[in-house]
Amino acid sequence: MINPITSFITSNPLSTIAQSTSTSVTIETTMKAIGRPGFILIDNNISTDTKKYAAAKEFLYQATCLLLYATIVVPLFKNGAFKLAPKIFKHRAEEFSQFANPKQFAEYRKYAKLPYEDRVNNTKIDKVLPPKLAKYLHTAKETPEQYDTIKGTIEAGSLLGSVIGLAILAPQVSHAIIHPALRLIGMEEPKKHHSSNEKISEKQINITV
Amino acid sequence: MGNVTQNIKPWAQKLENFCIKLGKNNKATYPVMAIAFVKGICRPAFTMMDKTEKPDTKKYTALREGLTELIAIPTYLVCGEASAWIAKKLIKDPVESAKASKNLMFIGVCGAALFAIPALCSVAINPIVKKFLKEKKEKELAARPEEKHNSVLQFKPVLIPFNGTKRPLNTPYNNTSARIGMKVGGV
Repeated sequence: MINPITSFITSNPLSTIAQSTSTSVTIETTMKAIGRPGFILIDNNISTDTKKYAAAKEFLYQATCLLLYATIVVPLFKNGAFKLAPKIFKHRAEEFSQFANPKQFAEYRKYAKLPYEDRVNNTKIDKVLPPKLAKYLHTAKETPEQYDTIKGTIEAGSLLGSVIGLAILAPQVSHAIIHPALRLIGMEEPKKHHSSNEKISEKQINITV
Repeated sequence: MGNVTQNIKPWAQKLENFCIKLGKNNKATYPVMAIAFVKGICRPAFTMMDKTEKPDTKKYTALREGLTELIAIPTYLVCGEASAWIAKKLIKDPVESAKASKNLMFIGVCGAALFAIPALCSVAINPIVKKFLKEKKEKELAARPEEKHNSVLQFKPVLIPFNGTKRPLNTPYNNTSARIGMKVGGV
């Protein structure tokens, strides 16, 4: 029983996910999209209709966050940081130029973590990396260069993007999307179109109150 | 290499050091805590700026949102660090233990997002919000004593036993007083 658990928690794929800001935030947001509406639905202190409405609203909010994060924030900030970094860290420009994009670097880092025996005859390396890097990974007997600056730059970009995207952009975007979506699925009443007389009477009421 | 490093600006050097540290040791708790911190400030602020909602609804929603993130920050930290501690106890090999602690920290953060934070919020937020709203109402009443006074003095029907008009049968009539001084009306 212990062996499968220990092999799972020490596995390289899990390590790659845990060390990647964008992947871990995406998974964590998915968990929120399941957990928060779930707990609202099992709350006995509120009425069934309110529960359904609140759960649908929370799910739509998290789904909007997820969609926005995966489609706009991650590519923009991750790639942006990767392209901007060689201009700031000029002495590292050569290191950055070895990789075409953050995805290729992630592939390199994944294989660079493996022991020599798993790298020497690994044909998958040749498919995803340029010949120069693939040859280096095949031949390096000791632990290959990890390029922590490049990794850190990508993670810093993702971190900044996550904060801006999920804490500042997502609430604004979701506010515009959620209410029409709730009306579309019939969980919210359609918006009333007030006539000019009604508006005037409302104003009068507000003044008198 | 060293000479080139010396040429870069101090802020760029600091940024590079930060990136190297993040590249070597990126914990799963960092992004989620950073997001929760900024969200805890921005989300209630945006709610309060919304002009379409009623002021009371805005205050209630903003309070809930702020409290949710306030609960989320320590929960992420505790769940993440506790999971990492368990991993260190479970695996003795130092290299594997370091890897396992980061992996289990990520699982701990996911567990916090899925179970711990929603559960804590559903338990803790309602009493806090109710208490806050009650205190606010009391303060408002204390600030407006007139309203309080009016609210206390209500119209209550006072029931006085009424058994019909009783008049003394032999009313003493002072004839002399009616004839003295000025007279208004006539008796």
